[in-house]
Amino acid sequence: MALTTAPGPTRRDTGSVRPPAKRGAGRNRHGEGLAGYLFLSPWLLGLMAVTAIPMLLSLYLSFTNYDILTPLSEVEWVGLANYERMFTSDPSYWHAVQVTLKFALIAVPLKLAAALGVALLLNRAWRGVGLFRSLFYLPSLLGGSVALAIVWVSMFNRDGAFNSLLSLFGIEGKPWVNDPDWALQTLMVLAIWQFGAPMVIFLAGLKQVPTELYEAASVDGASKVSQFWNVTLPMLSPVIFFNLVLETINGFQGFTAAFVLSNGTGGPVDSTLMYTLNLYISGFTNLEMGYASAMAWVFLLAIAVITAIFFSTGRFWVHYSDGEDR
Amino acid sequence: MHPATPPTHGTMAVPVHRTPVPRRRLLRRLLAAAVAVPLLLGGAVACGGDDEAGSDGKVELSIFWWGGEARAQLTEQALALYTEKNPNVTFKKTWQANQGYFDKLATLTAGGNPPDIFQIDDNFLTEYAARNTTLDLTEYKDNGKLDVSKFPESLWQYGVVDGKLAGLAAGENTQGLVYNKTLLTKNGLPEPTTGMSWEEHIAWAEQVAKKTKVPGTMDASAVDKAFWVWLRQQGKDLYKGNDLGFTVEDVTKWFELWKGARDRGATPTPDVIHEGNATDITKQLVVTGKAGTSWVWVNQMPELKKNTKDELGVVAYPGDPGAQWARAAMYWSVFRGSKHKDAAVDVLNFLSNDPEAVKLLGTDRGLPSNLELRDQVSQSVTDPAMKQSIEVETKLAETFGAAPQVPIKGHSKVRAELTKAAEEAQYGRLTPAQAAEQFYAACKSAIA
Repeated sequence: MALTTAPGPTRRDTGSVRPPAKRGAGRNRHGEGLAGYLFLSPWLLGLMAVTAIPMLLSLYLSFTNYDILTPLSEVEWVGLANYERMFTSDPSYWHAVQVTLKFALIAVPLKLAAALGVALLLNRAWRGVGLFRSLFYLPSLLGGSVALAIVWVSMFNRDGAFNSLLSLFGIEGKPWVNDPDWALQTLMVLAIWQFGAPMVIFLAGLKQVPTELYEAASVDGASKVSQFWNVTLPMLSPVIFFNLVLETINGFQGFTAAFVLSNGTGGPVDSTLMYTLNLYISGFTNLEMGYASAMAWVFLLAIAVITAIFFSTGRFWVHYSDGEDR
Repeated sequence: MHPATPPTHGTMAVPVHRTPVPRRRLLRRLLAAAVAVPLLLGGAVACGGDDEAGSDGKVELSIFWWGGEARAQLTEQALALYTEKNPNVTFKKTWQANQGYFDKLATLTAGGNPPDIFQIDDNFLTEYAARNTTLDLTEYKDNGKLDVSKFPESLWQYGVVDGKLAGLAAGENTQGLVYNKTLLTKNGLPEPTTGMSWEEHIAWAEQVAKKTKVPGTMDASAVDKAFWVWLRQQGKDLYKGNDLGFTVEDVTKWFELWKGARDRGATPTPDVIHEGNATDITKQLVVTGKAGTSWVWVNQMPELKKNTKDELGVVAYPGDPGAQWARAAMYWSVFRGSKHKDAAVDVLNFLSNDPEAVKLLGTDRGLPSNLELRDQVSQSVTDPAMKQSIEVETKLAETFGAAPQVPIKGHSKVRAELTKAAEEAQYGRLTPAQAAEQFYAACKSAIA
């Protein structure tokens, strides 16, 4: 980029000229390390107890026929049978994959677009702009709450508020949440509506764009649109990348709203059978926890692969302006 | 980072050469501790006292059920009565709505922490009994500590799974078609009667729809208990041994019957049927006013009545009422690993056979299992809806057929698949034959 400063000493350089550490290299350092682990231990124990051990256990269970009710000591090792079943003989599994992909592919880009659009509008020195920022952020605070999902369902019922609104314009509504062709879209709208969290991050990113860039661009005669494409977007690309990764993972994990809308069944006719909901039903309703564990691990790997793809494509479109851009 | 920041983070690089051993040992210790702590805790729980009661002879039984506020009050009164008579026994009571109940029960069981006594129904009894979670009550029945001598034979036997008495029937019920009486009388329409054929029922519903603009009947194609009764009327059954008791053709006929009803306008639109397919009592269409009838259990009529101003009536499902049976509305089961098995069984016995307790509980969990006490209760009942449901069920009991076997493992999945396939047909996404194929294949893999 034209405006970056001349290359000075970077972090990498300082590493090579680091003076050799001499003072108290022996016991003192050991003591520091121990203290470090001690300070770390509350978190580390928590991580072990509530994350790492259950995760490892679920990896083990994914190779067994664990059904929750049978004691763990009596489960049988079934090898790859759970994974085999998932990929070869479970149509509802693939249906859930499709529903989830459809949800993420549509809801995530729209949510990010909405977040960016509103962030651009709010990135100005209007009077009362702070109030609007709070108002737009509010839905995100409600997050994946059950109460919100219940309200959503009643709003998009046949005799819900949304249809009353439509009828004012003479449009006859649909039973949105009870129509297999529309139930998932209702959930997408809910997800998009909660664009506040990425919006706030976008706003912070926009504030970081140096005003000199805009000044220089307008001196060169660039229009507002051209400034957006050539200054704002490139400068914002790390933030876009961050939001994209985060929201994609969020999108794949959607559960609460689908659970509430369908009474935990994924209905009507499996139209809201999100991956995690299908996993939950397998584990807790069908009592096939081994199979559900296998689903969870495939899910984890899939999300890891998708994130890795984002990172590997990132270098083609994400620009870091700290002198290391490529 | 600013380039001028002095490099102070030497610790990151140096210890790699200097202190590899202590760190690795520390990590190993941490890992060992992390693994050992839960094991020790688990061991402590497992070893914690095999004695029947504490040193002071006090016993606390945990008990878990699903239901509403009314059931909670009645149950708490009955349990308080037990404590009054047996001061050394107290209860830790937990209850919640039906939705999520079985998830919770399964999780409690997995955590090694299941309640001593829990309520269960025939959708899950086999799942729990087959995995040896429930205590086999046969021994207690034989030595008289659990008295089922006043129970109808077929009723207590409906708790037997693989030769073991896995649950004690907490009450008896049978299928009931509840209809909106007010709607019918206001429009001068006849009330449905027990013994109407399915065709007659649908024709009647069509007539109701034409006259009142309210669809006459809820579409029962997704209702497993209706499908089951209909199968029995065709000489089939839901299960036969460890296999299905019906064919794809049977399912096709069932779905076609209801497609006919929908085509004639006798039922609501698919989205309304979908609402009615929820098991929640407050969502039943006869209560929400979106259909003239709902397919429920006879003992649910009084509870339905509480949710509507209209008068309700109840009859048997269409077809030969002999296909219906005395079903255990729900059971009480005892956890096999309970530390207080004898005490828990005694409570079960008390809830079924103690005249005062049975009177307190009324017909909330179905008609009392004990026939002698059932007579007494039905004479003392004043609530008209409850009175009617008792009358209807007593009348139907005269023609009850033999009870079928308790549903097999995988039944909850079969129910979910029936709803799914029936709705595919209701929304018109599949023909009845295609939906039947899908359902049958799904059932086969569910019970495999």
